[in-house]
Amino acid sequence: MASVLCPEFTAPGFSFENHQRNAFLAKKGFPAPKATKTGTTIVGAVFRDGVVLGADTRATEDTIVASKNCQKIHYMAPNMYCCGAGTAADTEFTTASISSQLELHRLNTGRVVPVVTANMMLRQMLFRYQGHIGAALILGGVDNAGPHLYNIYPHGSSDNLPYCTMGSGSLGAMAVFESRWKPNMSEEEAKQLVRDAVAAGVFNDLASGNNIDLCVIRKGAVDFLRPYQVANEKGQRINSYKYKKGTTVVLNQRVIPIQVEEEIVRKVPAPDAEESMDTS
Amino acid sequence: MALIEPFAGHTPMQAQRFSPYSDNGGTIVAIAGEDFAVIGSDTRLTVGYSINTREQSKLFRLSDKTVLASCGCWCDVLTLTRVLNARLQMYNHEHQKEMNTPAVAQLLSTMLYYKRFFPYYVSNLLAGLDAEGKGAVYHYDPVGHYERNQYYAGGSSSALLQPFLDNQVGKKNMNGVVQEPITRERAVAIVKDAFISAAEREIHTGDAIIINIIDKTGVKEERFALRKD
Amino acid sequence: MFLTRSEYDRGVNTFSPEGRLFQVEYAIEAIKLGSTAIGISTAEGVVLAVEKRITSPLMEPTTIEKIVEVDKHIGCAVSGLIADSRTMVDRARMECQNHWFSFNEKMSVESVAQAVSNLAIQFGDSDDDGGAMSRPFGVAILFAGCDEKGPQLFHMDPSGTFVQFDAKAIGSGSEGAQQSLQEQYHKSMTLKEALTASLTILKQVMEEKLSSTNVEVVTVTPEKFFHMFSKEEVEEVIKDIS
Repeated sequence: MASVLCPEFTAPGFSFENHQRNAFLAKKGFPAPKATKTGTTIVGAVFRDGVVLGADTRATEDTIVASKNCQKIHYMAPNMYCCGAGTAADTEFTTASISSQLELHRLNTGRVVPVVTANMMLRQMLFRYQGHIGAALILGGVDNAGPHLYNIYPHGSSDNLPYCTMGSGSLGAMAVFESRWKPNMSEEEAKQLVRDAVAAGVFNDLASGNNIDLCVIRKGAVDFLRPYQVANEKGQRINSYKYKKGTTVVLNQRVIPIQVEEEIVRKVPAPDAEESMDTS
Repeated sequence: MALIEPFAGHTPMQAQRFSPYSDNGGTIVAIAGEDFAVIGSDTRLTVGYSINTREQSKLFRLSDKTVLASCGCWCDVLTLTRVLNARLQMYNHEHQKEMNTPAVAQLLSTMLYYKRFFPYYVSNLLAGLDAEGKGAVYHYDPVGHYERNQYYAGGSSSALLQPFLDNQVGKKNMNGVVQEPITRERAVAIVKDAFISAAEREIHTGDAIIINIIDKTGVKEERFALRKD
Repeated sequence: MFLTRSEYDRGVNTFSPEGRLFQVEYAIEAIKLGSTAIGISTAEGVVLAVEKRITSPLMEPTTIEKIVEVDKHIGCAVSGLIADSRTMVDRARMECQNHWFSFNEKMSVESVAQAVSNLAIQFGDSDDDGGAMSRPFGVAILFAGCDEKGPQLFHMDPSGTFVQFDAKAIGSGSEGAQQSLQEQYHKSMTLKEALTASLTILKQVMEEKLSSTNVEVVTVTPEKFFHMFSKEEVEEVIKDIS
């Protein structure tokens, strides 16, 4: 049964019911908790037969590495993937929500969804939220018209480009593209270039790091390479940090005896003729 | 007119004032043994999300038996160590002897306190041998409070490494451990492992470490590579 | 002789053609008017002994202070213009405290002597207001102390020159006393021997009869550091010399 406390279905869209309370708390010196940022290097490049997307795998919370292997290349449709930078939750939910709409669109039309459709849907959603959804995206895919690559900013603007980079490591990555990208590259050339672009972010931007993921989208085939390369080997520790059994101090001990109340049910044989009751 | 707040957490625009300090990151660790001291630093120098250099040692050899590790605002580190070196040289000339570690420790404290109201924005660790030849580690706050310890971690990963040292060197919070003096090999291994772990989880620490081992024969230096991302 | 001097003996900033600074030499002469002070350095510690000239029976002898503590581990005996010595002792004390504050360690005896010497040679210096110090100090000082190099004795004269000594006498009786010190001093001297020797020699050069009221005795040892002898302790030493 539905009630105010437990509604059967939540209303569509965001709930703003705590906004006023949070504004009040922030004013009283209790700021809202920080969201995980992906502090990222994401890139994409068009080559002869398709698109290559690339991303690092580090997520940070301020100066601490929150995740060493997080996935920043999100599935959109069978012919489309999308890299996300910015607030982790925003990139995940935005891509997932548009992805589900794309699938409905595909079922309705029965055709390969054009990449430009996904681009338009993402832009419209982001623009509606005026930049409060902190998602910076690189959308790549191949449709009947060929390979497409879009850069989408959190406020809803977008560019159609042959190569692009986003996130805190975008400057380093763009430097690689600017010096080495050329039209009509082979797939191997494109993969190497995208790897090098992500690596530039991984090594020169502190908020990017760990592994390099790639996603190659061709007409009718996708290679999702995760990880494509472990850019940094984890250091080998010298000592063993296994503890002997009983190392943890027992501060106090209390035994609560379990009272077992049992009730035994036995099957009583039915009285038969041989053992009849003595009624005399 | 009431202030209009666009949404939670936003404050009205304010002009940015000049800030004389910057945080250049870096981590430093020191462990004192019976007749030796080990002190190490990473070699990464950063500002914001960028790397300035991958090969800047944060160790300063003050004498054959004293090494200072210093990190934080790098321009303050440079000035502080230059003035400190000058003071050591003046002491050498005035008293015709090398300053011993406890005296350097006190001098550094007075130099920091002298700038009480415009402090050097620096984390300091001092390691060496004291007058009796025993290993000593001193740690400082930016305005001159100091304390002698057996081990200490400072800099951007200090919050990650201090509990590790408490457990592995201080043998804290464990049942049935034998409290025996730490060996040189173990101290060096713990310092290396500490930095390996810090580089995994803290973005301002990485690239390489430099370790100085101080004993009565002098100072030996070791290098060790860390991850570079 | 006085005629040749008169041209150059007024300023402390002018050398005579023979290369002499007469005011400094006169200041050194002034020491010879002061009461005798003796210092002997042994492996066990340093002894300082001075005579106090009680010029009137109405004088309060305890207010004549010629041996003072500079720091826990350093003492000094003075002879000459005692008022001048106060300035120098103040400087010595301040330098010791500064050193402790900056380095958390005891200042060495030599460094104290050096610091006071730096003050002593400032005669003739001038600042914006004119002369900062018009003449040399008329004092000789014996610094006795124990630092990481062990017990040491330093002598400094009004020119600021300081030299380490095994045994040294200053003041009016210094010539005779120094002669006796040379005869009696040997490297293996004990502190007790040095105590008796110092008072014996002091007794020889003093005009008045030596007693527990007209001498001051101090030892500086690695164990007890600066120790001023009480009246009873002085009498104990005097008993042995008779």
